[in-house]
Amino acid sequence: MKIALIAMSGVRVRTEELAKLGVTLPGFVNRGKVVASLPSLGLLTVAGLTPGEHEVKYIEFDDLPPEGTPLERFDLVGISSFTARINAAYRLADRYRQMVVPVVLGGIHVSLRPDEAEAHADAIVVNGAEGAWPQLLKDFEAGQMKKRYIGATDQVFSPDLYSFPRFDLLKGRPYNRLTVQTSRGCPLNCEFCAASVRITKKFQQKPVELVINEMEAALKVAEHPFFELADDNTFVNKAWGKEFLKAVTPLKLHWFTETDISVADDEELLNLLAKSGCRQILVGLESPDPRALHGMNPNDWKARRQATYLESIRKIQSKGITVNGCFIVGLDTDTPETIKYIKDFVDESELIETQITVSTPFPGTPMWQRMKDAGRLLYSEYNDRCTLFDVNFQPVKMTVDELDQGIQWLFTNLYSEQEFLKRKRRYMDIVKNLEET
Amino acid sequence: MEDLATATELRKLIFELTKADVTQVGPSEDLMDTLGLDSLSGLRLLALVEKKFSVRFQDEELTSLRSIEALVLAILRARSVTAGSKS
Ligand code: SF4
Repeated sequence: MKIALIAMSGVRVRTEELAKLGVTLPGFVNRGKVVASLPSLGLLTVAGLTPGEHEVKYIEFDDLPPEGTPLERFDLVGISSFTARINAAYRLADRYRQMVVPVVLGGIHVSLRPDEAEAHADAIVVNGAEGAWPQLLKDFEAGQMKKRYIGATDQVFSPDLYSFPRFDLLKGRPYNRLTVQTSRGCPLNCEFCAASVRITKKFQQKPVELVINEMEAALKVAEHPFFELADDNTFVNKAWGKEFLKAVTPLKLHWFTETDISVADDEELLNLLAKSGCRQILVGLESPDPRALHGMNPNDWKARRQATYLESIRKIQSKGITVNGCFIVGLDTDTPETIKYIKDFVDESELIETQITVSTPFPGTPMWQRMKDAGRLLYSEYNDRCTLFDVNFQPVKMTVDELDQGIQWLFTNLYSEQEFLKRKRRYMDIVKNLEET
Repeated sequence: MEDLATATELRKLIFELTKADVTQVGPSEDLMDTLGLDSLSGLRLLALVEKKFSVRFQDEELTSLRSIEALVLAILRARSVTAGSKS
């Protein structure tokens, strides 16, 4: 059987002013380009779960012929997308189904909005593919494919469910960044989060040995790849973290991951992290204002940590590991002054990189439900406006216009050429001060 | 002469840092692309070059220092500025 697995990445900002700014601000363009250039680890895992007798082709959506042009024929097509591009995924699914090619849809958006997705697919996979895809294939071959398959939410890295991602499918492709996953889920459970926490019962960590095996396999398909760990919070378990760092250091890689600010509490972990080739950690700081953080997590974790932000950032960066501090604009306590405060905080903290996004109630998240119940969603259908840069809801303490203007002001002031160079220089000065240099 | 010696020292430093065979890298070749350096590793290299050669590049030129040739010229320029300001 010939199976196509089609990945969709990258977003297009809808707000015209922001889109214009986006192409002129180096700090903004860079990260966007990086995200758009990552292969879909989810689909490589689906390929790994596919029995060897089937032929699998991995395709990037943007490499497909445009609408109105014939598509290559397959026996089965699997498509994975996130919210901002799900409408394009639905249109592609409709094109294949018109050719009488059966389509399976999966991914986080599909898991959170299964009824919506089902209208465009012969079958959908809810949650991860582990525990669902192998059965789906068997049923398909027997002519008995069901409408909906529910993947596992627990023990996804256990021998029964785990599969080795098919990195070999990327051979010959121009990826210089590769992804490997070490964990799924995040115990912080932020109200707005639309990441793997929504498809996992509890935080799950892959054995170190498996992670290293995957990295070694990935190294065979790309020369000098930069690794991005496809995790939401890598260092939840510090003991696991140290074991992993000791194992990854001999590979002499350069890599990036996402985690929380508590890494700064553990000096030994930080030293191992610095030695391991980790170039950057992305940390969801969300806001420098503790009032905005209040109620964000069930146990107020982020609100309680806010007082340590400045010192923690300084500590991490002093080791030569850059922090990409992420802030959300438009939280319920935010006013136009909060936006200026974010800029002041970024300056004071000397963050080497900053990511600003607008508060986004992703369909299916608790935040979306709360905003929906309060009648605060501005559009009844807005999947393709979930770009993280377009305002989709009624803010509490400012108008939509004020929020839009505020984001543009922040972008202009944080991502200009001058700021970009200032951060480069800051990083170089840190490196020069490191003992080993 | 001075630029040849600088280029040799520079190649040595790049090798120490990246362990890549820099003898094969042409003077005007893009180091980031050829050696597969990500942007932060590129900045690390610039920082170490500054430290080793006791110079400080202009912030505005950081983005364009991507080849051995460009680096050598920038080192010589920075040295002459330092020497000039001392005299
Ligand atoms: S800390 Fe990040 S990954 Fe974890 S729940 Fe919050 S937003 Fe999601």
